[in-house]
Amino acid sequence: MGRMRHAFAGLIAAAALALVAGVPLRAHHSFAAEFDESKPIKVTGTITKVEWQNPHIWFYVDVKNADGSVTNWAFSGGAPGQLMRRGITKEALKPGQEVVVEGFRAKDASNNGFGQKVTYPDGRNVFTANAPNQQ
Amino acid sequence: MTTPKFLAAASVLAVISTTGLLAQQSKGDVRTAKPINQSDLPSQLRPEAKIVKGYVPPKTAWGDPMIAGAYTNSDESGIPFERPAQFEGKKLADISQEQLAAMVKQRQEQTVERTPGLSEFPGATSPLHWFENYRAENSRAWLVTDDTDGKVPPTTPEAAARAAARARERSRHGPADAAEDRSLYDRCITRGIPGSMMPAIYGNSYQILQGPGYVAIKYEMVNETRIIPLVSASNNLPHISDKIREYLGDARGHFEGNTLVVETTNFTDKTAYRGSSEYLKLVEHFKPIGPNTVEWSVTFDDPHTWTRPWTFAMNLTKVPDAQGPFEYACSEGNYGMHNMLTAARAEEAEIKAAAAKGIVKAPSVQDPDEGEK
Repeated sequence: MGRMRHAFAGLIAAAALALVAGVPLRAHHSFAAEFDESKPIKVTGTITKVEWQNPHIWFYVDVKNADGSVTNWAFSGGAPGQLMRRGITKEALKPGQEVVVEGFRAKDASNNGFGQKVTYPDGRNVFTANAPNQQ
Repeated sequence: MTTPKFLAAASVLAVISTTGLLAQQSKGDVRTAKPINQSDLPSQLRPEAKIVKGYVPPKTAWGDPMIAGAYTNSDESGIPFERPAQFEGKKLADISQEQLAAMVKQRQEQTVERTPGLSEFPGATSPLHWFENYRAENSRAWLVTDDTDGKVPPTTPEAAARAAARARERSRHGPADAAEDRSLYDRCITRGIPGSMMPAIYGNSYQILQGPGYVAIKYEMVNETRIIPLVSASNNLPHISDKIREYLGDARGHFEGNTLVVETTNFTDKTAYRGSSEYLKLVEHFKPIGPNTVEWSVTFDDPHTWTRPWTFAMNLTKVPDAQGPFEYACSEGNYGMHNMLTAARAEEAEIKAAAAKGIVKAPSVQDPDEGEK
């Protein structure tokens, strides 16, 4: 039953895509080619380096592990131009700042990831325009 | 049950239900899309696209019609390329403003619905601030302007043979064996013409610059400037030799009244748009239709690919210069390319390890050209 429903959903999906196919909604790189949506990750750590560059910004976070060791994670974000148009500048992320990053790990099992939601310790979103620190 | 695949299928089902089709099947079987919090939707800074009948633009100091400025076409996101079946027998001009407004509202909802990666959804992969195409205020019902049937014409047997040869060539290697297997877009090289001006989820910013004898267009994604020399009675500039082929082709422009007409030839066979050949002659019209709006129409004349020439059109809307293109120097940190290749290697290792245990694991399906158009 479950299988049949999936097959049916697939067919419908194809039909629906044909219906709604317009100007394609594409990002630069395919998320699925780089990252694994079945491997979500949430870390809290201190920013060590920020590369505010194209095509996506990358920032690095030192995260303390349970055994006391430290892992340096790298996370990607939006494009500098797209962030700039929202009023988000490189002042939003600074080395030494503590951040909470929720995202998805790279498929190659390295310490790279996609930074889907990044917040300051007080809960504010780093990449939300009009946040008090970005006005 | 809540696997991403299922969510994707479910969200598409939800789209169908919004169109009123198959609503019954979707009942009770579909994730109820959580409404996006309106205050989370990024607002766009755009002047009102006011269309003025018989609009006459100001002139430059040297007398050309003024079209210079920073523009976006994020508002044209999500327009069906061809005439949807529901408008069979209709022309673009037959669609009333009320019909268009209802359609645009539905499309705006669909854009949210069919993007399960949004941060409001479970299993989301992309944060909201990535999307510059929300609340797209589409200017039209569909893009192809030919009144014959609103469709891209049939392709020629030559085009079909070319596409088959390309597919054969592609099948000889994987989608990410090496960087060359990825699209020119992934590789930060080009989106071609007209690809560079087709709206994506972001990066839809352009700057048109004018000087005596020239127009230049800066395309934000992927960071290219196209120089268009203007021909005139006293300055007849023939196209370059057909032995020279360029990603953006060889452009020549002139003004017809207040409309900039650009004819481009000398394309490569690497930047096919919808299967076009390197012999494509592309004719673009940039027509000022209001103080903040330019209509961009694109005609494809390529007997090697289509049985007749065809045209699509959309609007470009002026934005403040500060909202114009930001240098998208894509190669400076294209770690994405590295990650895509290492991801492919990791998957190969997984498949091999599974095979050693007698488990057959299929490679994930990837479109190597994703992002190209």
